[in-house]
Amino acid sequence: MRKLLTSILLILALTLTFAACDPAPANDPPAANNPTTNDTPAPSNNTTNETPATPAETPVTPAETTPITGAINVISREDGSGTRGAFVELFDVRIENAEGRKVDDIRQDSDIQNSTGQVLTAVQGNKQAIGYISLGSLDNTVKALKIEGVDATPENVLNGTYSIARPFNIVTNSNSVLSEAAQDFMNFIMSDEGQAIIKAEKYISQGSTGAYTMSSASGTVKVEGSSSISPLMEKIKEAYEAINSNIKIEIQTNDSGRGVTATVEGSCDIGMVSREVRAEEVEQGLDVTAICIDGIAVIVNVDNPLSDVTKADIKEIYQDGGSITRWEEIG
Amino acid sequence: MTISKKESINFIPLKTRVRGYIKHPLSLVLLLLVIGAAVIVVGLVAILIGHLLIKGVPHIKPELFEWKYTTTNLSMMPAIINTLIITLLSLVIAVPIGIFSAIYLVEYAKKGSKLVAIIRITTETLSGIPSIVFGLFGLIVFTTMIFKGYSIIGGALTLSIMVLPIIIRTTEEALMSVPDLFREGSFGLGAGKLRTIVRIVLPYAVPGILAGVILSIGRMVGETAALIFTAGTIAGVPTSVNRFGHTVLDVTGSGRTLALHLFELVQNPQTPTDRYFNAAYATAVVLLVLVVGINALSSFIARRLISKV
Amino acid sequence: MYNTNETTLKIRALREAAMKILFTIAACVSILAVLLICVFIFANGIPAIAEIGVTKFLFGRTWKPNADIYGIFPMIIGSLYATAGAIVVGVPIGILMAIFMARFCPKSIYKIIKPFVELLAGIPSVVYGFLGIRILVPLIHSFFPEEKSGSGLLAASIMLGIMILPTIINVSESAIRAVPENYYEGSLALGATHERSVFFTVVPAARSGILASVILGVGRAIGETMAVIWVAGNAPIVPKGLMSSVRTMTSNVVLEMGYATGLHRDALIGTAVVLFVFILIINLCFSAIKRGTK
Repeated sequence: MRKLLTSILLILALTLTFAACDPAPANDPPAANNPTTNDTPAPSNNTTNETPATPAETPVTPAETTPITGAINVISREDGSGTRGAFVELFDVRIENAEGRKVDDIRQDSDIQNSTGQVLTAVQGNKQAIGYISLGSLDNTVKALKIEGVDATPENVLNGTYSIARPFNIVTNSNSVLSEAAQDFMNFIMSDEGQAIIKAEKYISQGSTGAYTMSSASGTVKVEGSSSISPLMEKIKEAYEAINSNIKIEIQTNDSGRGVTATVEGSCDIGMVSREVRAEEVEQGLDVTAICIDGIAVIVNVDNPLSDVTKADIKEIYQDGGSITRWEEIG
Repeated sequence: MTISKKESINFIPLKTRVRGYIKHPLSLVLLLLVIGAAVIVVGLVAILIGHLLIKGVPHIKPELFEWKYTTTNLSMMPAIINTLIITLLSLVIAVPIGIFSAIYLVEYAKKGSKLVAIIRITTETLSGIPSIVFGLFGLIVFTTMIFKGYSIIGGALTLSIMVLPIIIRTTEEALMSVPDLFREGSFGLGAGKLRTIVRIVLPYAVPGILAGVILSIGRMVGETAALIFTAGTIAGVPTSVNRFGHTVLDVTGSGRTLALHLFELVQNPQTPTDRYFNAAYATAVVLLVLVVGINALSSFIARRLISKV
Repeated sequence: MYNTNETTLKIRALREAAMKILFTIAACVSILAVLLICVFIFANGIPAIAEIGVTKFLFGRTWKPNADIYGIFPMIIGSLYATAGAIVVGVPIGILMAIFMARFCPKSIYKIIKPFVELLAGIPSVVYGFLGIRILVPLIHSFFPEEKSGSGLLAASIMLGIMILPTIINVSESAIRAVPENYYEGSLALGATHERSVFFTVVPAARSGILASVILGVGRAIGETMAVIWVAGNAPIVPKGLMSSVRTMTSNVVLEMGYATGLHRDALIGTAVVLFVFILIINLCFSAIKRGTK
């Protein structure tokens, strides 16, 4: 009886706080940066057919007219990330070390998020933020900046005008024999069917090897590595398992660095590396296959009025000791 | 007007109280501080839980409980099954060891012996070690050295070390609460030590032990840091095909528990990300209900025990 | 007849002895576990620390694994700052709440409030982290719109402060309840108000228990991982202010352990060694206080 009373009171208190807590964020003066974080249910029901609606209404928001000010929240990935590796090479955010080798020189005080999804989330929720992600993972909850006036689209990557692109590689151990199951899965990725998925997911296919023919192999294939490739790999896996139910694909999401190590160690069959595989890594015993090309999109919050940056701007924003730390300093 | 005796002593009319506060403003400040703290804590819990329930409950849909995880349904069912498997495995390892050590500590060890002191210190240390250190230990020993890769069994072994101090401590308390009279009576009737423990002491201590075991289940279900590098984050129940061609559970495979499932949904959302966050809210509600329910069950049993004694 | 009886007795004695050995072995498992954890963590971490150089490792201000520079000073300071922040946020509220629960609230309200505290204790840390990025970070940023983001030291401190609340409340409450009633009554009899009696006689008498609760809270805060990595920003720098990005020792391990190899991996385990030493010191303090009260 008393328990019942307590629980009723508890629920009452909860409902009360609901009433009290939800309007609270709406009262905040900078309401402009809230919609993305608090009103997430709004875009949640948008399926692909609604996609054009949101970009169309973005220019109408009043935030568009006022230029953005304040500190830039520079968001980067962790060291092992392939996207980071490709990003620093493409924008030359590097410094020569003592041996004359160019090494990563991203701001020490930049925020570190250790997955593509975390960068997306951080930029979605923060008007001040800038980040970079795989073009294939881009959606309308964030805004991709034009680089030197060129839109970040798969088409522009394909025709060569958007130069911020890198290959998606899968690596296998060259010192041991690849299992039949893993070979079959790799055949599928490179086949017409596999590359069709790659195109459908807006990555750039470099041609296929013909129709997929199922082998008699069975077993489990372990795939590990880049969080940029794994969304695509999940889709390929689902299509593959629908065709070939004898083989199970296990995808472990980490980053490119782990993809290389796990393959060399033999703890996975196929590693995912979202950048060029380095010479010293190939020497450890890796066979490299490029499965497609993916762009890197530099993203900002949808309420950020900025739409176009130069490569030099990006370098100044990201390089340790770079000159741009506030939004008003751009351009 | 009938007031119970105790109240009548402490009862101070409002007027006197107000006068007292005017005379001692510090007392009023202290009172307000204390009430303020209570309001903050209760409000905080209400906001956190309320936010979770409001955002999570509407998104609990049947497709979240489909047997197979896909990127379209984001099902938490495999994660729930993995949680069950890992918890069961850990209990199978930790409960006997925990109960046996408690029996040794309470029934066999001489008071003040060196060994007991060392065991006390180590269990205390063990209970203070952060879960990420357990995770690293599991990574070095189970993942890298023994099982060569993430595995359910590696995760279960890591967790069983982690909950060992909880089980030892609660069992110890339960055993100590058994009156010595019972033991003496049993000895007096000619029963041996082992028989006394198994037939007399343990049955009496069962509720206390159970409360401890359930508490440790709650800890395991909510754990992430110790599992991320040991059990891994594969979104399915690990299976393999045995030599007869049957698909069987494979504990040397990787599989994520419910807490890790939530972690992965938030860590690696794919576009459109909102779908992942909605699923994450729903998963968080289920996880919370599970953990809080388990904890409540444990304290309920413990309270029953106290009232029985 | 006599013979069989003797054998059964023998078997029984044997069984007794065997079980005693089994129990003793089981009791030694926890010793073994602690030993193994120490050995493996230290064996992997210490050589790396030695290779990097103890001072360079502990006091180096730069953490750049790709350039083979491993200084964890920012992370040590980050952990200490975040824990200090958690104490500032959690301890006053926690102790006041404990006083309220033990000495101020009527039984009927206590029955309602107690489950709230239990609820707070039951929320898994990954759920805290999730709530942190969904509620706390945007909220903080809305108060400081000119700052770069809502995540950072402040968010981490508040997050950890909330997480240590139940520990502090529960342990302090039982410490306050354990104070003999005549302390309170004596004070009342001398004419002190209820509040004065509680705050100036009962609470001081419970101070070692309250201190123990704070130390337990510190242990929990410094070892917490999952709730921090999503709200702290994770830049490996010594935080310059409340809104500055911060990386704790625990998040350093979780962020990079997934892909680290070679010296980098061992340097991360070295970070765990430092964390472990901190925890051991905290444990020692705790048991010293506990022994002091006995």
